[in-house]
Amino acid sequence: MDRGWWWKFGLIVAVTLGSIWFLIPTYYSLVVLDRDQRNNLAVLEERMPSWAPPAKYRLNLGLDLQGGIHMVMRVDTKTALQKRTERRAQQIVNYINDKKLGEVTADTDPEKLEVTLTAKDPATMDAIQKEVLATFTDFKEVSRSGASLVLVQDESQANVFRTEAVDQAMLVIRRRIDKWGVAEVDVRKLGADSIQISLPGRSNAEQAKELVGTTAQLEFRMVDDTNPQFFAQLLQATPPPAGSEITLTTEGGFPQLQAPTREAIIEYTKDKVPENRVVLTECIANPVKKNECTSYRSYLLDKNVPLTGESLASADANISQLNEPEVNISFDPAGAREFERLTEQGVGRRMAIVLDENVQTAPNINEKISGGSARITMGRMGGRTFEEWLGEAQTLALVLKAGALPAPVTVGEIRQVGASLGDELIRKGGMAAVLGLGLVILFMAIYYKASGLIADLALLLNGLLILAGLAFFNATLTLPGIAGFVLTLGVAVDANVLINERIREELGHGKTARAAVDQGYDRAFWTIFDSHVTALISAFILFFTGTGPVRGFATTLIIGLLASLFTSITVTRVIMTYFVHGRNAKVVSV
Amino acid sequence: MQILKNKTNIDFISKRKPALFLSTLLNLAIIVGIAAFGFNFGVDFAGGTVVEVKFDHPITAEEVRERADKGGLPDVSVQNIGAAEENTFLLRMGGVTQLNEESGAKGKAALEALGGVRNVYSDLPNGIIRFRAAQPMDSDAVTKAVESAGIGVQEVRDLGEAQGGTGYDYQVVASGMADRVFAALNAGLEKPDFEQRRVDYVGPQVGKQLRNRGIMALLYSMVAILIYVAFRFDFKFGPGALVAMVHDVIMVAGYYLVSRREFNLTAIAALLTVVGYSVNDTIVIYDRIREDMAKFQGKPFAEVINIAINDTLGRTILTSGTTALSLIGLLIFGVGEIFDFAMAMLVGIVVGVYSTIYIASPLTIWLDERAAAKEARQRASGNVDHQQPNAA
Repeated sequence: MDRGWWWKFGLIVAVTLGSIWFLIPTYYSLVVLDRDQRNNLAVLEERMPSWAPPAKYRLNLGLDLQGGIHMVMRVDTKTALQKRTERRAQQIVNYINDKKLGEVTADTDPEKLEVTLTAKDPATMDAIQKEVLATFTDFKEVSRSGASLVLVQDESQANVFRTEAVDQAMLVIRRRIDKWGVAEVDVRKLGADSIQISLPGRSNAEQAKELVGTTAQLEFRMVDDTNPQFFAQLLQATPPPAGSEITLTTEGGFPQLQAPTREAIIEYTKDKVPENRVVLTECIANPVKKNECTSYRSYLLDKNVPLTGESLASADANISQLNEPEVNISFDPAGAREFERLTEQGVGRRMAIVLDENVQTAPNINEKISGGSARITMGRMGGRTFEEWLGEAQTLALVLKAGALPAPVTVGEIRQVGASLGDELIRKGGMAAVLGLGLVILFMAIYYKASGLIADLALLLNGLLILAGLAFFNATLTLPGIAGFVLTLGVAVDANVLINERIREELGHGKTARAAVDQGYDRAFWTIFDSHVTALISAFILFFTGTGPVRGFATTLIIGLLASLFTSITVTRVIMTYFVHGRNAKVVSV
Repeated sequence: MQILKNKTNIDFISKRKPALFLSTLLNLAIIVGIAAFGFNFGVDFAGGTVVEVKFDHPITAEEVRERADKGGLPDVSVQNIGAAEENTFLLRMGGVTQLNEESGAKGKAALEALGGVRNVYSDLPNGIIRFRAAQPMDSDAVTKAVESAGIGVQEVRDLGEAQGGTGYDYQVVASGMADRVFAALNAGLEKPDFEQRRVDYVGPQVGKQLRNRGIMALLYSMVAILIYVAFRFDFKFGPGALVAMVHDVIMVAGYYLVSRREFNLTAIAALLTVVGYSVNDTIVIYDRIREDMAKFQGKPFAEVINIAINDTLGRTILTSGTTALSLIGLLIFGVGEIFDFAMAMLVGIVVGVYSTIYIASPLTIWLDERAAAKEARQRASGNVDHQQPNAA
């Protein structure tokens, strides 16, 4: 046995033990934990031994195997862009009026996203053209003839806007689902204009569709601070029910209720607030996982909604001259008038910005704001870095835009699998895999005898490696994934068949056991390599072009093929070499 | 143990012409069939709604259809899945919400009849009817009006007083098709005698996108494999491998065509797997041909191929046999699309072996003969490439 052999042997042992180690979180999450705790990483981490890998390296079950809802929402960026064009056209007209450059009318073409400006007096057009193009830099000139000027949105600007529209929609969906209180939800972008949402364990597709499929509602409401001690008094007068975990907290001098769930606060304050008042909550974000709320804080607000997102013209995050992040917002003319009235009456009070009934922020009104543009400065909050602080401002700007320029979302697809069906499928899928594997193992052992047993060992290791590989990449096992698992074993068997047939052939030519094994492996190597590489090519293409179940299938196939290359070429050879070189066996049982 | 006791010497190649003729005929028939009848596209590609229900007592598909029909859903197709005693059915219909152009117009008329309602318009993709009313509306009355038009109402949203202009804004959210199906099946029952197992909605837009992506994936992988084969082997091997792949894909598509099984994303996965398997098989034999070409220099190419096919015959039978064996579990326990996947794979394995022998190899011979003939012509006309005098 030369040194190279020992190295390979050590590698195989290490890989095997490593795979078993990597499957510990999977074992705990699927076998040890109760089914409703299955997706709870914190519980999983707690139950596992300390030497186990981190809980996130576990094999997830696809929604088809554990029940849940998968949905794809499409963001209608085209409509959003049309709306933006109309809004900008109105702003251009207002600008020309304000600057007294002349009198114009604007007409928009929703298809081409063009704005046609027509001046009453053709003589004013030159000045208008110059001013407008210099100010509204997101537009370019298309053509000019006499008194009319055609403008179009700059394509790169439009693309920025499209991306933003999808980001906004994603943010709104995330916050809504959060309101629903679903743990382990996964929201991500899919392609250029779609958002994919996974809700494990949920079963009401209608409710889910309704929840994420509506347009964002942005409102500006005054905070009722006439009685700053309202919540403190309320808590004293009627103690909250046991177990609701409602406590009193003080933020900026105002006592507020705080609870781990939104429902607890809403339920508790129901029917306990004066008429014309309403209690809404703010999410206190988890500092580590931004999309989760650790708790909720209450606000007492005026029931009346004086201003909505429809009046908002723009919102942008900036860094002020004092080097502080801020959000600049501006309103359309009607909105500006209302905003001026509100701020005039409300100096010293707070104005809450509410998206989908969730309070986003409630800045203080320092002075009357006229002219339709305002600045929300992000108050210095303890213990935050500048980046976090800036991020906060950017999120707020995104929230404001999502309410102001809502891009409609439509249901692309919903797939919902009941939990009982999921359990049945995993049972049947598991049986199918075990039966398939069992038959192949039995056949190989009978047909190739000792060599068949070696191949079987490699097959089992192959199965182990696939599971560990899926766990390592935190991949999701789906029903087509199980099919991919079975198919991979078929390809792995082919490799072993190729090798063993070659060895038989070489033995048939009268070669010694040692030479037959060596030559068998050498000759079969390139064939196995070629066949695996071609299968890998199609698996990778499947992975990059496919979605959902197809992707799950491709993932399993890729990991399986790589594992098969290792087990069929290296593992079986090391064992065979041990017998014919180490033990000097004269016959090969094949 | 050995499947083939002695070395075989079957003359596969001599029968290549009739085989090629038959395959071409079969392939053309399938293509014509697809053009004429089309696939039974599943909800993945066609869009629409599919629900799976499992009854807690024996019931036939016919009875389920009657119930749906009585509940006001005549266009639902009902299909039994799995074993008959499982009482599990797939119900399929077009559309994802109950709001369509026709019912939307009816809903609009019903709302307008309430009085003081204006600006009614249906947002079909979202399944929402929006309207503005002169005075605050009672949501029960709105629900009743819309339901009288045959649209299930999930919720009436009160958006409050309009900001720009006068009036009050409302949205009526129509319930989805699935809800309607469950309601129809439930009609007249105290409590449901079935379990909702699965609901799939796919919008028509997404369906189209999924289909295009699936077909693109298929084409991309074929081209990639062709390039790989042309580089690893010789150019003359490339077209054979490609045509064999196309042949296998068409044959498996034929399975979906003839069986009328649902053609969906899993079917695309099956086609791709068949491509992978078919090329795997082709490559193993190509590898052997290349090896034997070096070993038996001077023998005619067709004969070398015959030897190579015979040499690898044991392996071919074994591998396709064991792969088929591993599918047995899926065939027994797999229901619905997994069963179809396994069946398609089985078809793929059989035609994959066939196409390697009778399509990929003969094409290679043909290309080789053509190259030889061309060279002979060039030599005859004295136009020999003198810089490579040994080329032959």
